[in-house]
Amino acid sequence: MTVIGERVPRADGQAKVSGEAVYGVDHEEPGMIWGALLRSPVSSGTITRLDTAPALAMPGVHAVITAADAPDAYAGWVLRDQRLFASDRVRYEGQPIAAVAAETLAQARAAAAAIVLDVEALPAVVDLEQAMTPDSPLVHPDWESYVPAAGPDFPRHGNVAAECIADPPGVDEAFARAYRVITDEFVAQRQYQAYIEPKSAVGIFRGGRYTVHTAHQFPFNVRDRVAQFLDVRPSAVRVVGHTIGGGFGAKLDAGLEPYAALLSRAAGGLPVKLVNTRTEDLLTCPSREGAITRIRSAVAADGTILARELEVIADNGACSGEMPWLAAIALHCARGVYQGGPTRVTARLVYTNTAPTGAFRGVNGTYLYHAVERHMDHIAAELTLDRRDYRLRLLFGDGEELLNGQVLHEAGILRQGFDALEALAPWADLEAGRRPYRGIGIGAAWWLTNPGPGSAVVSLREDGTAAVVTAANDNGSGAVSIGVTQIVAERLGIPPEDVFVTLPDTDIAGYDGGSQGSRTTRAVGKAALIAADEVVEKIKAVAAGLLEAAPDDLEVAEGSVRVKGAPGTRVPIAMVASTALNTVGPLQGTGSFVTPFPDFNPSCASGLLFPSFPTPTYHVHIAEVEVDPVTGTVRVLRYLVAQEVGRVISPDGTYGQVSGAVAQGIGYALHESLRIGEDGRYRERTLESYRLPLAVDIPRVEFVALEHPDPDGPYGAKGVAEGPVLLPAAVIANAVCDAIGRPLNSIPITPEEVLAAIQS
Amino acid sequence: MELHAVDSLDAALDVLATRGERCQVLAGGTDVMVQLARGEITPAALLHVERIEALRGIEVDGPITLGALVTHRELAKGVLGDGFRSVAESAATVGGRQTQVVGTIGGNVCNASPAADTVPALLVHDATVTLRSSAGSRTVPLSAFLVGRRATTRAPDELLTAIGMPATGEGSGDVYLKVGRRSAMEVAIVGLAMRLRFDEAGTVTEARVALASVGPRPQRATGAEAALVGGPLEPDRVDAAASAVLDGVEPVDDLRATAAYRRRVVPGLLRRAAGICAQRAGR
Amino acid sequence: MELSFTVNGRPAALEVDAADTLLGVLRDRLRLTGTKEGCNEGECGACTVLVDGLPVDSCIYAAGAAAGRSVETVEGLSGDQLGAALQAAFISAGGVQCGFCTPGFITTLVAVLREDDKPSEDEVRRALAGNICRCTGYSQIVDAVAATVAGRVAG
Repeated sequence: MTVIGERVPRADGQAKVSGEAVYGVDHEEPGMIWGALLRSPVSSGTITRLDTAPALAMPGVHAVITAADAPDAYAGWVLRDQRLFASDRVRYEGQPIAAVAAETLAQARAAAAAIVLDVEALPAVVDLEQAMTPDSPLVHPDWESYVPAAGPDFPRHGNVAAECIADPPGVDEAFARAYRVITDEFVAQRQYQAYIEPKSAVGIFRGGRYTVHTAHQFPFNVRDRVAQFLDVRPSAVRVVGHTIGGGFGAKLDAGLEPYAALLSRAAGGLPVKLVNTRTEDLLTCPSREGAITRIRSAVAADGTILARELEVIADNGACSGEMPWLAAIALHCARGVYQGGPTRVTARLVYTNTAPTGAFRGVNGTYLYHAVERHMDHIAAELTLDRRDYRLRLLFGDGEELLNGQVLHEAGILRQGFDALEALAPWADLEAGRRPYRGIGIGAAWWLTNPGPGSAVVSLREDGTAAVVTAANDNGSGAVSIGVTQIVAERLGIPPEDVFVTLPDTDIAGYDGGSQGSRTTRAVGKAALIAADEVVEKIKAVAAGLLEAAPDDLEVAEGSVRVKGAPGTRVPIAMVASTALNTVGPLQGTGSFVTPFPDFNPSCASGLLFPSFPTPTYHVHIAEVEVDPVTGTVRVLRYLVAQEVGRVISPDGTYGQVSGAVAQGIGYALHESLRIGEDGRYRERTLESYRLPLAVDIPRVEFVALEHPDPDGPYGAKGVAEGPVLLPAAVIANAVCDAIGRPLNSIPITPEEVLAAIQS
Repeated sequence: MELHAVDSLDAALDVLATRGERCQVLAGGTDVMVQLARGEITPAALLHVERIEALRGIEVDGPITLGALVTHRELAKGVLGDGFRSVAESAATVGGRQTQVVGTIGGNVCNASPAADTVPALLVHDATVTLRSSAGSRTVPLSAFLVGRRATTRAPDELLTAIGMPATGEGSGDVYLKVGRRSAMEVAIVGLAMRLRFDEAGTVTEARVALASVGPRPQRATGAEAALVGGPLEPDRVDAAASAVLDGVEPVDDLRATAAYRRRVVPGLLRRAAGICAQRAGR
Repeated sequence: MELSFTVNGRPAALEVDAADTLLGVLRDRLRLTGTKEGCNEGECGACTVLVDGLPVDSCIYAAGAAAGRSVETVEGLSGDQLGAALQAAFISAGGVQCGFCTPGFITTLVAVLREDDKPSEDEVRRALAGNICRCTGYSQIVDAVAATVAGRVAG
C-alpha cells in the first residue's frame, strides 16, 4: 500500500483549525517585555536631531537603542549594503532609526513616539530611469566600499546595484533584415506578499549568545543576517522556528529579528518581542519589485523570431536583499518558451529611496512572462496569426538549447500541456464563445525548482513511529506537514500520522535552504528519503537476526519487517527498534541533498549570478475574462492550468499550491495596486486600499497535472508551488486586450485604464 | 476614555445633554473603532447605544420607519420589500458579513462618509432623519442633514433615532450600483442610486438619482432627474440624463480613483441604472 | 469598567478600558490566541468571533460592547457539532495551508451555516467576502463547506 499520491491529512491540520497552533506572533517567553521601532517618516533625508532621553524617561521603558548602540557593521544577503539603524542618512520611509524595549507594547510604542527626531528632507530618487542618469543623486554615495556577502564582486555602479548583460553576435544583423520589428514596453507595479500573519520576533540574549524565535521561511538565513548585523559569528545566533502564517518570499530574509536580539541585550537579557502593525509590515515588506520591461523582436513574414532585445529595469529599493542574485533571471525568461534567434538581454537593478524589494513567489518571472507573452500576442496580431497556433509553431521541444547554453531535455512536455488544455477547453470553442467584452488569453512558461541544500535526520522510535529532525519550514504549503511526512512514511512503511517532524531550530537541525522556490518537498523530501533509506537498511540488519533471514530477503512494509514472498514471517518494526537499542544502538539515519546547477556557458553574459535553472518544470495557462464596459472592471470567468509536477505526492497539496498561486496572480493582474508617490512613499498603506482578492473574485481553477517523474526527486517529485504564479498576469492581460481590442501594457490592469481604452 | 453603556433612549439623551460635546456615539463600532485606532478621533468618552431596543424597529406598512440601529444585514435581506431594493443592495455592499451584522443604518448616516453606500439609496427615497434630544425632537430631510465630508447638522446633544421614507407607489423601480476593484469589501469608487416611477403609459413621472464618492458628501443629481422626467424612457432621454448627471459636481481625485475615471464611469452607470429601474418597474 | 461576559460558555470578568477591543481582551488577557490579528481594521476577518451568534471582527469590536453577552471563539467551536464538522472538513478538503486565517473562516462559517443549512457555492463565497485567505485561492475552503453541508444532510 502506498501513501504517495494519496489524500493524506496534513500533520498540523488539527492544531490549525482548532486555534491550538502557536504562531510566531503568539509565542511568548517567561519574563518577556515588548519592543517598538521608530521608523523614518520620509524616504530620503539627513537626521539632524535624534534625542532618546524623553523615551528613556517614559514609564516601563527598559532600553532605547540607536545606531550608536549597534556594531559598526554592514549586512546583506548578497551585498552588504545595509546598516541596522539609519545613523546620519535615511534612505526609505519605514527605515528603523531607533528601537525601544518596555514592559508593555503600549508603553514601547508610546516611548518610540516620544523620541525626538528631526530629519532634513533630501530629494528622493524614485524614478528608475532618472536613477540611472549621471546627474541623479546616489542612494548610496559609498556604494564602492560595499562588499558581497560571499564570493567575488559583480557588475554594479552608482545607483545600479546589479547588472546582467548578454550580447550575443548577430542581433543587429537580424534586425537589419527583419520583415517587421515589433516593439513593446511594459510596466509592472510592486506586489505586497500580504501574508495574514504580520512579522514578529522574540529575541533573547543569554549566556553570550542570541536566540531568536520567529516564524520564518529560512531560519539559517536569519541566523546569518543577525550575525552580520550584530557582528558575531553565525554560531553565536540560534534561530528557533514557529508555525508561520504565510510568507510567500517576504519572510526569507531577516526582518525584526536582529532588532529583537539587540534590544534583549540592551535590556539585560530579558526576552523582547517585536510585532509589526499591518501598516509597518506593508511599508517595509520586501515586496515584489516594480519593473519596466522593453522588448523588441525582429520577425520574418511567417512569424519566425530572427532576433530579440530585452531590457529590464527593476526597482531594488534602498538596499539589496536577495535581488542582485536574481537579475540574471531575465536571461532565462527572455524568449519565454519559444524559439527565436540571438537575444540581447540587459537587466539592471536600480537603487531608489523606497522600501527594499525582495523575493515574492515566482521572483522576477511574473513581469518577465507578462512582457514576453503580451509581446507574442502583439506579434501574432501584427502578422494576423492565430495566437495559439503561433505559439505551438515556435514552442520549445526536447533538447532545446537556451541563451545560457542550458539544454532542456524534456521541453516537449510543453506541447503536452497545450494538448491537455485543448482537451479541457478547445481553443476553437473558446474563440467561438467570444462576444463583445469577452476575451481569452493563453501563455506558457518554464521554471526552476530551487536547488538549495537540505538535510534531515530520521529516527525510528521504540514504538514504531518515526521522528524527523530538519530545519525545513512548512510555510503553509504542506511541503513538510504532508510531503516530507508522506515520503518518510512511505519509505518506512508506517502511517503518515506516525511520522513527527520538528519545527526548525538552527541549533538542532542541519542546514536548510529555506522554503523558497518550490524546493522543500523535493530537496528536503529527498534528504529525508536518504535518511529513511539508511534507517531501513539498519532495520533490516537487526530484523535479519530476529527473523533468521538474510537482510536482502527482507522488506519493510505496513509497520513490519517481513520476508519477501512469505509475508506471514514478520516482526513489527517497533520490536526491531526496541531490540536495536541494546544491540546496535538507536536506529537513525541522516540525509543531505543539494541539486547541482545544470551545465551552462559562463561566458554567455556578465553578471550571471543565477546561472541556470535546475529541475525545470513546464506550465501552460488559459484565462477567459469578461470586461464590464461601463466600469472597466474585469471578471475572470475560467482559469485553466496544465503543469508538469514530476509526480504528485499529495493531490490536495498540489492543487492547493496551484489554486493559491493563481489567486495571487489574479490579484497581481487585477486588484493589487501598490503605488509609490513622487515622494518615495507608498500610497496604499492598509488592507483597505491594498486590495487582496476575495472568494468572490477567484474562479475555481481547472487543473491538469502532467507527471514526468524526476529520477533525482523523492518518488519523482519536482517543485510545484511557484510556477503557477508566473502566468496569470500574462494570460489575463492577453484576455483583457482580446476582449476590448486594445493593448494594455501595465500591471495591474485597472478599471481606469480599461475604461479609458474602451472609450478611446 | 470612558464608556457610557446605556440601554434606554432617555439614558442616552441624558448623557448627551450633559456630555455630548466630548462623547462619540458608538453603535456597531465598525467605523468608530477604526477611527479610534487610527487616532482620527479622540473623544473623551464613548456612548454605547447599541442596546437601546427602542431603536431597532422596522415599520413597513405604508411609510417606512427604520430605527437607527437596524443593521445592514437586516436591510440586505430585503426586509423593506421590492420597493426598496436600492436600500437592500447598498446595505449588502457595506463591508463583509462581519460589518453588516453589527453595522447600523444610523451609524452609516451619521458617519457621513463621502462614500457611504446606504446614503444614495436613502436619498433617492427622499429619506428623512429624526433626531432626539432631551429638549425635543426634529425631523429633517437627509439631504439637509448631511452638509459635508464627515459633517452633519446633528447637535452634540442629539441622537439620530429613526430614518423615514415614504412608501413607493405603483410603477416604481430602484437600484444601487457600486464601482470597486473587487466584487466586495470596497469603499465605493462611485455609488449611484436611482429610483424611477412610471405611469401606465410609460412616462417617467418621478426620478431620483444620487451619487456617493464623487464629492464631499453623497448628493442628488437633480439635473439628471429633471432630464429623466416627462416622457418615456427613450435613449435620448437617458442620454440627456447621462450628460447632466455630473452637472454641478466636481468629482474628486483620491487614493481610490481619479476624477477622470469618475467622470467616465458615472454616465454609463446612470444608463445601466435606468434600464434596471425600468425593468423593475415593469415598464 | 468591569466587563462580565461568557467566553465559550464560561463566565469571565475583568477590568477593561473603553478603547480596548474584544480581540485584545481575548488574546492578551484571556490567552485565547486562536483568534488572530491580521489587519486591526476589520478588513481581513482573521479575528472573527461570534458575539451572541453573530460573526464580528473582534479587532474593531469594543470589548465593553460584549458585556453580558456570549462570545464563541475558534477554541470553543471545537466542542460544537457544526464547528467540529467544519474543522474536520477543512483538513480533509485541503482548506488549510498556513492556517492563520482559518479560525476566522471557521467562526464565520459556523454563523453562516447556523443561519442557512444549505447555501449555494455562490452564497458561500459572498458570505466569506470579509475573510481573506492568501494561501488557498478559496476553492478548497468552499469544498470544505460543501462537504460539511453534505455531511449534515446525510447525518
